[in-house]
Amino acid sequence: MINNTSIEEDYSESEPSNIAVACESVSREYSRGQGGFRQSETPTVTALDSISLQVTRGEFVGIAGPSGSGKSTLLHLLAALDTPTAGQVRISGTDTQALSARQRARLRARQVGIVFQRFYLLPSLSAQANVAVPLIEHGVGKRTRHERAETLLDRLGLGDRIDHKPGTLSGGEQQRVAIARALITDPDVLIADEPTGELDTATGDRVLDIFETVATDRAVILASHDHAALDRADRIIALRDGRRERND
Amino acid sequence: MTDKTDTDFDPDIHSASRSKRILRLSTFAITRILNRLRTPGARRITLTLVGVMIAIALMTTVSGVALGLATQSAVQGDNVDYWIVPETGDLNTIAVSTGQTRLGDTHRLTSRLTRNDRIQYATPVLSQVVPVQTQTSTTREYILLVGVVPPNGSNPTIASVPTEELTPGDPYFDANRSTDSWTGELIATQAAATVLNASTGETIMPAGTDQTFRITDVADSDLRTGVGAAPVALVHLSELQAITGAADGDTASQILVSSNSQRVRTTIEGIYPQTNVVTRTGFAGQTVSTSSLPVAMGIAAFVVALIVGVLFTATTMGLEITHDRQFIAILSAVGYTERSVGFVVALQVVTVCFIGGTVGALLGIGGIYATNIILAQTLSLPAPGIIDFRLIPYGIMTAVLIGILALPYPVWLARRTTITEALRL
Repeated sequence: MINNTSIEEDYSESEPSNIAVACESVSREYSRGQGGFRQSETPTVTALDSISLQVTRGEFVGIAGPSGSGKSTLLHLLAALDTPTAGQVRISGTDTQALSARQRARLRARQVGIVFQRFYLLPSLSAQANVAVPLIEHGVGKRTRHERAETLLDRLGLGDRIDHKPGTLSGGEQQRVAIARALITDPDVLIADEPTGELDTATGDRVLDIFETVATDRAVILASHDHAALDRADRIIALRDGRRERND
Repeated sequence: MTDKTDTDFDPDIHSASRSKRILRLSTFAITRILNRLRTPGARRITLTLVGVMIAIALMTTVSGVALGLATQSAVQGDNVDYWIVPETGDLNTIAVSTGQTRLGDTHRLTSRLTRNDRIQYATPVLSQVVPVQTQTSTTREYILLVGVVPPNGSNPTIASVPTEELTPGDPYFDANRSTDSWTGELIATQAAATVLNASTGETIMPAGTDQTFRITDVADSDLRTGVGAAPVALVHLSELQAITGAADGDTASQILVSSNSQRVRTTIEGIYPQTNVVTRTGFAGQTVSTSSLPVAMGIAAFVVALIVGVLFTATTMGLEITHDRQFIAILSAVGYTERSVGFVVALQVVTVCFIGGTVGALLGIGGIYATNIILAQTLSLPAPGIIDFRLIPYGIMTAVLIGILALPYPVWLARRTTITEALRL
């Protein structure tokens, strides 16, 4: 069960400068099929309908909801991987809708870290090189990249695994490498989708400990079906059929 | 543990120069593709590499043969700057020069050329494969006799044979082909002496004539044609004409002209109607062709390699990008711009082509060598291919060009990759 004490409070009084990510009446519709020559008859599906929320730095927010409730779509928007068809998403004060694809990529590079359920590490690279991948886009030199990656891996308890390829690491270790990769650019927002979905309970707990720790000075948004994961959140946003549940 | 305050993040990393970013991205792209090649399951990349390798290997081999045919189409000499050849001249390597269109009245016209102060020397050249035997041998051997008019005052090397041991001029021709003036002088190359098992002073008897030659000297040099030395001997032009029936009309295959003056070309062109004047210019100073066939071969090899290589690379690397879209989506998700992702993909394609081109060019050089050996051993033909190591950079550059021309398709596919579709978030 979702802990009712963690229901979202009214954030209208939050300091605007402390808001890491905010949505205002955000909707997302998708066209079904190509539509051919008769675009006007293309059916559309509403994945998200008028969602508003704010997450401040230092906050750990869980997103709950059954499959098809719009969790993934919301995460796409909060991570600037997609833009809404209506409403506004702001990351560190920047409206993602107003940005070009290139500017959104830059915004992701600087402000957003993403952790995937299936880790998505590059199998031909070592753990250290995987963690350092985002820094290449910033033009950081190899030595600095590796030093930073090594420091981060060491802090996540993988100091003795830096040269290992993902294939030789356990699921928990791979997820910790993925978290290190998401944190390497020191983002304001950390987005995680079912980060414990492929891990056993004990390993999942260790990963959740990390999320709790890193949420001290950045916003952490975690989507999950797992109550143990959601219980760690400061508050929970519950979705159903693309809308926020009234009592979430 | 890993909160923002204790990560010591250096804000300057965001302001790295564009050139540094490009350098880091290049290193990343090349390292990644090399790593992929070393890991199992990189079939499409390996296939691309092998495809480019085969295209470049074939192109290099054909180019080597074309270069060889172009180079062998004229008898070369020291400091020869111009070749006068018949306009209708066809492919005529040294060994198969019989039956071609010839120039006539060559002695008179060569004398006229020689009178020009800007011309150091000029000599007609007639080359003919002739069956000969020595007095002591019982079998006939075929050697290439090259008839020239050795110039007065200079001793050029023609067809790799020095002319100094031949009496200057052409005494037999000057004496109206009087038997008394027959010099019978013959300078053999090492290969000719070996084939005939003869040495200086030995008498050489061409088949079908009573006239004989005497080996005046055996040169230290050989005319190299790839896998080995050709048996060549130098004689006076009129004497070769006499034994091959070329005396009527005073014919020769070509005329070599040595001159340092650019302006002399007009004079040469005006002296002979319906001839071509070929200069020592172009690729490595070896583009001395009386025929457009070798050039056409070289161009055709290039075009075919380019088209096949581009289509093959675009297709296979396109498949690879489609298969590898998770990699592209990861890069995009962690903040790589479309341009950066396109650059990484482009560099990977060019790197694969570069590796394929390098290996292909080396194999192509081996192919030239193999072609020469096979033709020599199976058909007893002189080696047509020239092993010129400048073909290696030529092959590599062509492979890189293949990669560049094949880029648009894989890069377009990479740009079409949607992060949210490629990664289950």
